[in-house]
Amino acid sequence: MTDKTDREIIVEVLNGNRDFFCLLVQKYERPIFNYIFRMVRSKPDAEDLAQDTFVKAFYALNKYDSTYEFSTWIYRIALNVCRDYFRKKKLFLYSLSAPIGDEEESEFEDFIPQDSFHNPDDVLLNQELRLNLEKAIQDLPIKFREVIVLRHLEGLSYDEISSITGLPVGTVKTYLHRARKKLQDELGEFLE
Amino acid sequence: MDRKEEKLVNYLERLPQMSVPSDFSFQVMDRIEARQRRSYPFGNFKKLAIVSLALVFLVALFFTELPLFPQLNITGLSGYRRVELKFYALSENPKTVAVAGDFSDWNTLQMEKKDNNSWVITLKVKPGKYQYSFVIDGREWVPDPRSYRKIEDGFGGVNSVLVVNGG
Repeated sequence: MTDKTDREIIVEVLNGNRDFFCLLVQKYERPIFNYIFRMVRSKPDAEDLAQDTFVKAFYALNKYDSTYEFSTWIYRIALNVCRDYFRKKKLFLYSLSAPIGDEEESEFEDFIPQDSFHNPDDVLLNQELRLNLEKAIQDLPIKFREVIVLRHLEGLSYDEISSITGLPVGTVKTYLHRARKKLQDELGEFLE
Repeated sequence: MDRKEEKLVNYLERLPQMSVPSDFSFQVMDRIEARQRRSYPFGNFKKLAIVSLALVFLVALFFTELPLFPQLNITGLSGYRRVELKFYALSENPKTVAVAGDFSDWNTLQMEKKDNNSWVITLKVKPGKYQYSFVIDGREWVPDPRSYRKIEDGFGGVNSVLVVNGG
């Protein structure tokens, strides 16, 4: 890695040192890839769209407004890439009753296990909870899914989410509240 | 935030992260490289190709006798072709219109009046290149106004050129 800040790396890239862009990719590949995966729920698609996000960022770098954090900017590109993906797939009205299939379950096996899954009983319990939670997130309308993933899975602030989604902070909070309510309704028994 | 909501948030924040393929960044850089290779030389090549084709077309149009604008209805007829010639009177309204050319040994062939300002004739000719002119009211010789291909007739006038394909 390097001690350079994002802005310094961007200046290097804009000055023709293209390879420096690789540093930005390595720094942000994990959050961007995970954000996109949470949105589209397909590993190959997430990989393709995440790559697309960085390629788009590279070619738009000369338009990058340095008053924003690069992290906010790259999330915004990822969000738009996902919106385009849904528009093309016409999945904005994705069925709330879509079943979780074998393919989806197998993709969850790629997740890095957490400490709480070491006890076999906990594993069963947590896997069931996790699958239900994943499904509940997947079933959220896109606009709610965007804010819930950005806030609680990516750990971004209200201001950052507002900047990424283009929504006022008040709307972000409203969406979050409604999204959490929906998730609670879906997960009922697990939250008792 | 009540207890249930807190529990939910806790679960959400503990959801595991997906691992990123180890060569992800290199794949991104490869895509950038590939796109640049594709866009720059190819973009220029495309423009160059379009301009070149346009130039070739214009040269062929004005300096060759290739049948670029087949204004003729041609149908096969055992070695002969049917060729329909049309004459449109733009301003004056002639009483008769005829056509004369290599195909008629420069004898005039009367054309049929279709309406107030158009005359038509169907010829039976073999594939080849023919000079011709229209004859207005039996005295005025004019080249075909609809044909781009013209040639000096050696007498200070201009004939049109009719190209009949053999294919």
